[in-house]
Amino acid sequence: MFAAPSIQEALVELARAAKRAVAGWWGIVRLGAQLLEMALTPSTYSGEAWRNLAQHIVQDTTPMLAWFTVLTTLISLIVIRIVMVTAVSYGLTQYALEMVVRVLVLELIPLTAVLFAALRCTIPNAAEVAALRPHEGWETSVSAGREPLRREVLPRVVSGLFSALMLAAVSCTVTLVVAYLSVYGPVTSGLAAYTRTVGHVFNPAVSLILGLKIVFLGIAVALVPMAAVLDAAPTRRRATSAELRGLVRMFVVILLIEAASLVGNYY
Amino acid sequence: MKDPVPPAMPAPVAHLQFKAALLLALFVLLVGGTALYLMYARGTFESTQRLVLVAEDSEGVSVGMDMTFAGFPIGRVRRVELAEDGNARIVIDVPRKDARWLRTSSMFTLVRSLVGGAALRAYSGVPTDPPLPDGAERKVLIGDTAAELPRLVASARELLQNLAQLSASDAALATSLANLQALTDKAKGPRGVMGVLGSESDAQKVSTALARANALLARLDSMAAKADAQVLGPDGLVREGRATIVQLGALLADARASLKQVDAVLAEAQGVATNVRAATTDLGALRSEVDATVRKVEQLVDEVNRKWPFARDTELKLR
Repeated sequence: MFAAPSIQEALVELARAAKRAVAGWWGIVRLGAQLLEMALTPSTYSGEAWRNLAQHIVQDTTPMLAWFTVLTTLISLIVIRIVMVTAVSYGLTQYALEMVVRVLVLELIPLTAVLFAALRCTIPNAAEVAALRPHEGWETSVSAGREPLRREVLPRVVSGLFSALMLAAVSCTVTLVVAYLSVYGPVTSGLAAYTRTVGHVFNPAVSLILGLKIVFLGIAVALVPMAAVLDAAPTRRRATSAELRGLVRMFVVILLIEAASLVGNYY
Repeated sequence: MKDPVPPAMPAPVAHLQFKAALLLALFVLLVGGTALYLMYARGTFESTQRLVLVAEDSEGVSVGMDMTFAGFPIGRVRRVELAEDGNARIVIDVPRKDARWLRTSSMFTLVRSLVGGAALRAYSGVPTDPPLPDGAERKVLIGDTAAELPRLVASARELLQNLAQLSASDAALATSLANLQALTDKAKGPRGVMGVLGSESDAQKVSTALARANALLARLDSMAAKADAQVLGPDGLVREGRATIVQLGALLADARASLKQVDAVLAEAQGVATNVRAATTDLGALRSEVDATVRKVEQLVDEVNRKWPFARDTELKLR
């Protein structure tokens, strides 16, 4: 008696949820396409628009660059120490350096950098945009000429992407240097062997996958939270749930990219 | 409901353009530097020569693995391919600066260990041989620990089978042990070890031989006692020899005394000789005196002759 309507309701609710999810993912793709088109326009990098973009880039990246470098150095030191001690205890020292480079530079550090950029830069940026939306003129100007997208959203997304890429580049470089210093000490005699090991790890396929992974992770953390807050209705009450939804989607995308990179690297 | 308070705009940044340019430059530098370093590490900027190793089985060989010489990596596997004849061709890039270690007589091995990957090694026994040319093809010797294991197990099994055959109840070893047992049983019998040697007559002969050998030994013993008495007895050879030696000692002492006397005679003779030498010296002086006297007598006779009236004219005249 009561089962049939409840199943129907459940199915309807499921269909609505699926529709919302598809619409959400479509919103991400659409926003990405719009921003890409704007980013490829030369006028974005001149005059007031360039100043706006430069200000976001400097304000988002500079404050966290120094202490993220320190943090990366500490994490690298700890992980390298653990790997080296374990390798020595098992008599596998000849594989330790390669393992350090693989585990840290290829897998852990880029992911850490991108998540750090998301927490410190892109999610707060999305929250700022969410706070801007309820103001007068946003919706009308969006429908008129997409000016708020160009003025408020594009600089934040580009800045978030740059921040993620910058942190990844810095952390990978720092990790390579720390790994050398941890294994060989402050001498240059181990440089040839170390370079050979690094060259052994970074074959063309692995290098390409690492580059693509970092770029896609950067795009994901810059774009997905922003798309989530733009997709939601422009009220403060709904903003929190939109941010949460954005976070979930961002982690799903990160997971997919990581899985794809692992498949590409090791299969 | 619209929010009446707009979010605060970010504060303007001093030297914005410079800082942004600096960040972008740092990013480009990091990415470009890393890319260049990785290309250098991959050997992109090195001039290389090619070496092809032909193996029956390329298992364990992967693209990018090193070929070592004396523990130092001198080459890198570029490609592994299957040739038309079914052999694996391992194409290796050797940097030109490291190619001098490879000679035409170099040997190449592919060793697979139980833990870890395979290892390609080069050995150059004669460093004065001509260098390996570019694109050379060489056979690779394969040493495989994992492949050795089944062989080892097969050998161990064969050994165990042999042991089992040896220790079986109908094996030669068991029969030999049984025979040995029978032999020792005989040795424990009334005739002892003699019973082992053969029939009753043989044993008798052996006993007789033993008895005669005993008698012979007794005679030998008495002969030895007699010889002992002859040599070492009171009138034995040793005592007489000792007396002879004593006499010889006395004889030698006499001879030494005679020699001393001869020495004294010789000393006297030497004195006589010395006296004779002095007498001879005196004779010389005497003779010179006699000569002088004769000369004087002669002068005297000449003088007498000159003064004598009938003397002949003996003057010499210059013309």
